[in-house]
Amino acid sequence: MNSAQIEIQLIASLVAIACAIPGTFLVLRKMAMISDAISHSILPGIVIGFFITHDLNSPLLILLAALTGIITVVLVEYIQKTGLVKEDTAIGLVFPALFSIGVILIAKNANDVHLDVDAVLLGELAFAPFDRLIISGTDFGPKSLWIISSILIITVVLLITFFKELKVSTFDKGLAASLGFSPAIMHYGLMSVSSVTTVGAFDAVGAILVVALMIAPAATAYLLTTDLKKMLLMAIGFGVLSAISGYWFAHWLDASIAGSITTMLGLIFLLVYLFAPSKGVIAVMYREKQQRTEVSLLTFLLHLKNHNEERERHVNHLQEHINWQKVRAKSVLDLALKNNMIEIDNNLVSLTKKGDAFTSKAIDYIITNEDAQIEDMKDDFFLFRG
Amino acid sequence: MDKKIAVQVDDLTVAYNYKPVLWDIDLEIPEGVLMAIVGPNGAGKSTLIKSILGILKPIAGSVSIYGKPYDEQRKLVAYVPQKGSVDWDFPTTALDVVMMGTYGSLGWIKRPKQKEKKAALEALEKVGMLPFKNRQISQLSGGQQQRIFLARALVQNAAIYFMDEPFQGVDASTEIAIINILKALRKAGKTVIVVHHDLQTVPEYFDWVTFLNVKKIATGPVKDIFNDDNLTKTYGINYKVSIQE
Repeated sequence: MNSAQIEIQLIASLVAIACAIPGTFLVLRKMAMISDAISHSILPGIVIGFFITHDLNSPLLILLAALTGIITVVLVEYIQKTGLVKEDTAIGLVFPALFSIGVILIAKNANDVHLDVDAVLLGELAFAPFDRLIISGTDFGPKSLWIISSILIITVVLLITFFKELKVSTFDKGLAASLGFSPAIMHYGLMSVSSVTTVGAFDAVGAILVVALMIAPAATAYLLTTDLKKMLLMAIGFGVLSAISGYWFAHWLDASIAGSITTMLGLIFLLVYLFAPSKGVIAVMYREKQQRTEVSLLTFLLHLKNHNEERERHVNHLQEHINWQKVRAKSVLDLALKNNMIEIDNNLVSLTKKGDAFTSKAIDYIITNEDAQIEDMKDDFFLFRG
Repeated sequence: MDKKIAVQVDDLTVAYNYKPVLWDIDLEIPEGVLMAIVGPNGAGKSTLIKSILGILKPIAGSVSIYGKPYDEQRKLVAYVPQKGSVDWDFPTTALDVVMMGTYGSLGWIKRPKQKEKKAALEALEKVGMLPFKNRQISQLSGGQQQRIFLARALVQNAAIYFMDEPFQGVDASTEIAIINILKALRKAGKTVIVVHHDLQTVPEYFDWVTFLNVKKIATGPVKDIFNDDNLTKTYGINYKVSIQE
């Protein structure tokens, strides 16, 4: 690895971390689309800032562009508040308008501005190491590394300081307001951080990847944990993993780094979506199948409890009577045997003591919905896990 | 009446998009009552609570808690929002939600410590939810979720409790558990104000009632004012017929 490669991976990883933090809260606040809006509508801010400063990495440009991000949020909310259109429509109205202003500004001033629309959409991480911070002859590394580091430090300090406030205002706005933690302050604070992060990451990874880096790692982490702190850490982890694996994928393909990182984000999400232990598609399918079997088991046990007549309890009778197919009847029978809930004597099925107690308890639960008494059954049966 | 006034509302008018949902409300809630706010859908019951708590901005009027503005008296007040107002898939546990009740007394930036955790565990115990403290909140039943919300209000150790439909979608045993806790709060001298839907249970559960339908219809002791006349004024003509169906 040469130093440019290390620098690119470092920048990509820091961008991923800086995006994952506000991204987690955007996902939990169901505001994923607002990050898309911000990432596009900061373009006029960047262009105007560039006219003034002639430096894509100037702090003034970042502030100006972040301001356009905030304006986007305010405009979206204003249009939405009129009650004439819904939020998604308002987002769809605002950001193309602002983005197109940026596009026209670039086109009209193509000779003066070293910006093109491709670079804006996809960024060009490969060029980041060329724009270096040089102070009185000493090389301090790529400028974008410094920018994203500064933004990341601010984000982390704000996150640690206001974690409790962010959590409560995200979970329960009403409670936050009544406790005196103004949800508006938290909302605009989060929007400001998202805007600044977007601008800082924009130059390196472009408008589309910024959105992916904010949303995909958080959405992936959401499927794996039920703890907000772990969700943040996992989102950061997935972001960095995608950044580095994406870089090498691009290296191998000789393709766009931004595109490859986005592909990795998508792949990781897909894997987790399929295989996550409790929320993944396969786990859910398995659970549903188990629940069906368990409902059958309970039906069967109840039938045994209700009938003492021999003809109702004959093994072969089950198929005809409860109307189950052979395979299902057998799997239910096996499950009941395995759990020592029934005994079979001369092809006659009867409940064991354990089976009898279990049936009464389960039926009682289904009727009363009293959760506490079936706690011990949750480990063995999906049916009772709510 | 020589009883202290816990909550005083003067000339309160609240509007959504310039359409008033509460018109010129005057209301005095004496200390130590267990009060139901009743009225039809859209009567402004939740809006009234939210305006008292400063969550909504009224276009006119004022509210005071023990004679002072709400902002200065926050710590005296606990709030239980409607259960449906939050996302129960949020990645957090029952204990953590109850801990949020302690955030108000902590103020900005300060973190909850052992003391807050202990208070939260005690509140969970009071609502019979201690065994579920580490359960992810989406894994709780509707009744359990409501108990968690109640525990979160209890941990605030307030003087006045506002609850928005705490009995909505809970099973019978949770309803009894909740009302017993509310009655215990009143016994301890607290003031409890509940947005309530089930008119049948008003005389059994509450000692004070406010009839609301955009305007205040009546407020006072249940035994004096909970009658057909006020019910009809609040819910419209033939109210009695419809309740018997």
